Amino acid sequence: MIEVQNLSKKFIRNKTKKEKEEFYADKDISFTAQNGEIIGILGPNGAGKTTLLRMLAGILEPTTGSISFDELTYEHDEIAIKKSIAYLSGNTKLYDTFSAHEILKMCCNIYQVPKDIQDKRIKEIVELLKMSTFEHNKIANLSTGQTQRVNLARCLIHNPQYYILDEATTGLDIISSQIILNFIKEEKTASKTILYSTHYMEEAENICDRVIMINKGKIISTGTPEEIKVRTKTTNLRDAFFALTGSDTYEE
Amino acid sequence: MKNSNLIIILKKELKELFRDKKSLAMIIIIPLMIPLIVIGMSALFEAQMNKDVSKYNRIGFSYELSEEESNLALNMNIEVINGTEEELEQKYNNKEIDLYVTKDNTTYILNYDESENSSYASKLVESFYNTYKTYLQQSYLQEHEIDGNEVLNIITINTKIIEKENNNFFANYIKNYAFLFIMMAITVSATYPATDATAGERERGTLETLLTFPIKSRDIIVGKFLSVSFSSAITGLLSLALAITSLIIVKNMFTIYEGINTLFSLVSIIFAIVVIIAYSLFISGLCIAIASKSKTFKEAQSALTPLNFISFFPGMIAFMMNIQGSLLISIMPFLNFTVIFTDINSGIFKISHVLLMILSTIIYISLVLTYIIRQYKSEKVLFMK
Repeated sequence: MIEVQNLSKKFIRNKTKKEKEEFYADKDISFTAQNGEIIGILGPNGAGKTTLLRMLAGILEPTTGSISFDELTYEHDEIAIKKSIAYLSGNTKLYDTFSAHEILKMCCNIYQVPKDIQDKRIKEIVELLKMSTFEHNKIANLSTGQTQRVNLARCLIHNPQYYILDEATTGLDIISSQIILNFIKEEKTASKTILYSTHYMEEAENICDRVIMINKGKIISTGTPEEIKVRTKTTNLRDAFFALTGSDTYEE
Repeated sequence: MKNSNLIIILKKELKELFRDKKSLAMIIIIPLMIPLIVIGMSALFEAQMNKDVSKYNRIGFSYELSEEESNLALNMNIEVINGTEEELEQKYNNKEIDLYVTKDNTTYILNYDESENSSYASKLVESFYNTYKTYLQQSYLQEHEIDGNEVLNIITINTKIIEKENNNFFANYIKNYAFLFIMMAITVSATYPATDATAGERERGTLETLLTFPIKSRDIIVGKFLSVSFSSAITGLLSLALAITSLIIVKNMFTIYEGINTLFSLVSIIFAIVVIIAYSLFISGLCIAIASKSKTFKEAQSALTPLNFISFFPGMIAFMMNIQGSLLISIMPFLNFTVIFTDINSGIFKISHVLLMILSTIIYISLVLTYIIRQYKSEKVLFMK
């Protein structure tokens, strides 16, 4: 179970050329995610989704608040948490001079997958994500979709309990995007916890058990997609968002 | 395995390094400059030594030469050009003559500037007048029936050059500069991989991926540090091998090395290898520290440029001022490596200096690595503003 309590992140930005100002990318975010749950983190660009997920992945330090993964915290158990999570963002980059196979092999070693089952594990994942045609190609020669599949593959290698997926399907072709969505559904049945951020509302509606809507760094609504639609008297999450924010555009 | 992650990072960095053409070129091409420098400098010295100074013999005289002076000038291959002082000055300014002499009673004035041609000409004319002076002295003494040889050679001065191993200015000069260039090659070859492994990795976006792995910052930094040190040490050792080979080759090519031993003893080679490895570790740590503070690859490269000069100048100054190794110098970064190198060239092997240099380098590296590790524990390493 992931437990997030009163999580805030403050940054400093330039107001003018000389003046700086503090602002909260996320403010007082609290939620829990149970095992076997897909939680959608929804919001427009700049809402604070990436900052939230980066804090959960241990890349950013929260200004205030706490995060725990089955009672483990970053302050005391950073390595143990990182062994149990997989973080994938739309911007995650891989080493251009390495082949997909080399990256998976390196990840096997990092996550201490036993030597005798490493090849079998890589083969399974390559088949699952349909990567056999480009397994031994250098990352520099792969398409965006193929690179993202390699990225997903390296997340799977250690069979993590928690997936933190930030705009993982953004910019991908239909096939690559569908492979990732199918994979998320399969992992749910294996009792994994998945935090999935997207600004594709329809995508979230299809796969998420619960959604957390964020705008300007604050939670504006939480619940199942159905609950939110009923609460806002709308027929889809996109309209629900507009109803909640009183805005008529989805971009900040 | 306790250090398995460190080994994984080291392997990853080395793979990236050796697959990158630019890094490979830095490691291999820079040492190739060493033979060019050694051969080039030797050729320059040889040319200087064998310069035909007899052609700087166009001497102007503002007075009429005596018969004896004319004969002497003929014997010494001096081309006599007569004229008034003004005419000779004009000819000198037009480079038609190399020096001109004016006379005031018994005083002869040699007029020339400090250009190379005039300096050679002045030596020729000084020799001319010394000979002429001796002739006049002997004539005067003979007229007064005094034995000229007895008076003029009342004392005898002989010189004896003490033979000392490797006491050759040119050989030592070239050897010292070869070592300085080895240090510069190590610095240059450390800057690119250090930049690529830190600012480059951040710019390419792979640092975020790396930081999500269950690897301690210490393992990431030490892995990167060792890979950069490895590449710069290869450059240093390659440069040393080429410097030794070049010195063997130039010994047979140039006469300035006649009778001189340009070979390095086994002890000096071992000492040189120790200094090269210590310097590679030191400069790699420093490069990584500077590059990891930079936002972009370009910024890191600019920040590291002064290091190339810093690595060269203390050594050059130490060499020019003939600074000898001491316990204090052994702990002074940059200067300690070059002074130990010049000591090795002079045949001075002080274990205490080398040990102090190693110890101080370990302390400096530990401080630098602690600083970078702390930086990598903070989010600032990814989101630098």
